[in-house]
Order: sequence, then C-alpha cells, then structure tokens
Amino acid sequence: MNPRLLALFLAAAGAAYSADHEFDRVVSAVEKHYGVKRTHIPLLGLANFVVRVSHPAGTSGVKVAIFEDLPSAVGGDDLADLDRFMDEVCAGRLHPMVVTRSRRSGESNYILTGEVGKSTRVLIANFEPHEATVIEVTVDIETLLKMIGSPENAHRLFQDKHDDDDGGR
Amino acid sequence: MKITAILLFTALMPLGAQDIKMPASLEKLAAKADETVDVTLDGSLLKLAGRFLSDKGADEAAVKKILAGLESVTVRSYEFSREGQYDPADLDEIRAQVKAPQWSRIVGVRSKKDRENVDIYFKDAGNGNLGGIVVLVAEPTELTIVSVVGTLDPSQLASLGGQFGIPKFDFEIGSIGWRREGK
Repeated sequence: MNPRLLALFLAAAGAAYSADHEFDRVVSAVEKHYGVKRTHIPLLGLANFVVRVSHPAGTSGVKVAIFEDLPSAVGGDDLADLDRFMDEVCAGRLHPMVVTRSRRSGESNYILTGEVGKSTRVLIANFEPHEATVIEVTVDIETLLKMIGSPENAHRLFQDKHDDDDGGR
Repeated sequence: MKITAILLFTALMPLGAQDIKMPASLEKLAAKADETVDVTLDGSLLKLAGRFLSDKGADEAAVKKILAGLESVTVRSYEFSREGQYDPADLDEIRAQVKAPQWSRIVGVRSKKDRENVDIYFKDAGNGNLGGIVVLVAEPTELTIVSVVGTLDPSQLASLGGQFGIPKFDFEIGSIGWRREGK
C-alpha cells in the first residue's frame, strides 16, 4: 500500500475512533456521575442505518443515549454542578459552542464540537430535571449553524427521528 | 527580511484580532440568572461557514459575506427573575477594554421609560471597515453582552442581528437612530 495512502487511512481511522470514544466517554461519565444506566432504544441500529444512508437535514452517523430517572437536582437547581461536570468531561477535547441554561424549565443544553470542518462531529447534551439525552452526530455547516441558532431544539431533531423509528415510543 | 516580515506580522496579528475578555464576574451572574445563553464561536467555524454556506437567498448571501471576515463571536445573555440581581459595575471591566483609542462609542441610549441602557462600541480597522463591535444591553432584569471580532463593513451590521444569539438590531449609523427589534 502507498505509504501516503496508509497514513491517510490511519489518520481517518484514528479520527473516527476518537469521535466514537468521545461519545462513549460522555455516556459513561453520565452513568457514573448520576448513577443511572442509559435506556435501551429498540431499533436504534436501524435508525442509525437510515440516517447514514439518507443524511436527512445534513446529518450522518448519529448516536443517541437517553437517560431516564435522573436525580431531580440534575438540570434543576444545581446548574453549576452540571457545568462543572460537562467542563471536566469535555475539557481539552471538545469546545462548548453554545450553552443554554433555564432555571425556570430546569433544562440545560450543551453543543460541543471538536475540530470544525466541512462536516463536523457534534456532541449535543440535553439535561432536564429527570431526563438527559446525549447525541453525537456528524453535521454539515448549515445544520451546525441551525443548531447554534436554536440550541434548545438541537436534540429534538434526532429524538423525533428515533421516536418515529421506535413506533412512537 | 522575509523572516523579519513574518515575525512582525505574527507579532502584530494578535493586536488586530484581539478579543474582548469576558470578566470572571459574569460566571457569578450565571449562577443567579433564570435563563442564560453562552455562545462562543471561533474563527475556524466562522470562516468555514462563510465558505460553505449557500448564498441562494439574499439573507444567506448577506450572512455568508459577513462571516468570511469574522474571527470570533461571543454572546453572553442573562435573564433574571427580579431586579437588582446584577450590578451595573459588572460591566465595568468590559467598558474599560473598549476605552482603548481604536474603540469609539457610537450609540448610547438611556431610556428612562423602559429603563434600558444600550451601548454600542465600534473598533476602527481603517479603510472604512470595522475591526470589531461590542454591544451592551442592560435592562432591569436582563443583561446581554455581544462581542464580534473581525473585519466588517458597517452596512452589513444589520444582517448580524438574529444570528448566533445576537439580538436583532436596527440602527442607523450617523443619525444615531437605534431601535431594538421587538420593543
């Protein structure tokens, strides 16, 4: 194999591994920190396949983890704790582009990215008083800008998709 | 000579691209606020957006043109449940930064009726262009700070409103007529 081609392949494989690793690390951190397990989503593999093939709304390679029965304090009063948690989990690896916190609704949203490119791997974390959603997805620049413009709805784009795939689950 | 020129350029570049530093006291405001929005966009995203965004619509084309010259966009917005949750002095550190000679306060509105204070500062980049904008909007229960760094044509300013969490503004340079949309 051409050494340059091999180097490119290894770099691409490394980037893909690192992206997968980020999602798994955040999911594990949520599980450990809040003592919860992610909810199993039936047919998630099929949903991933559909998203990969059709690239709806400029997305590909979506991964979703939903957490239910979170302690009520999460996303509620202790928003500073949530900020510290996200800072520690993502420090040096992902940069927060948009963070919104609402004490009224108890909802916090984080949109984080690694290196920005024509396609960018984005990590979306949504915390509500009893529920959290972590999503990793590759998006094009237009979709990324839409997410930045409407951060509260970023996670819903993918959750709705999975709800449909799960038969309205 | 070439190396000297590169070194000189590298040394001067951070001055041109200097960002406004958000004071640490704002973190404390986040803890008191009912609603907060933090947006931190760096040059790599903005330049890519400028390169890859579609320019089919007039609005998109205008935004694309602006983005190409931007180096950073920072927005901090706080909404409080009651008055007195922030101290006007919380903005002093930012005001001190825009007192530098290259900055000018272009718009200053003090509304007794709405109790809304708005200050807009422009940084002169020469050749009729702006090198940055700082917008401070202080209301009894709301505080918004916007810092945009990069080269901008003043006529493009209105197109920035409503993007990236920046409030929609409609102001006319020269006449100092300023109106915040939705008010």
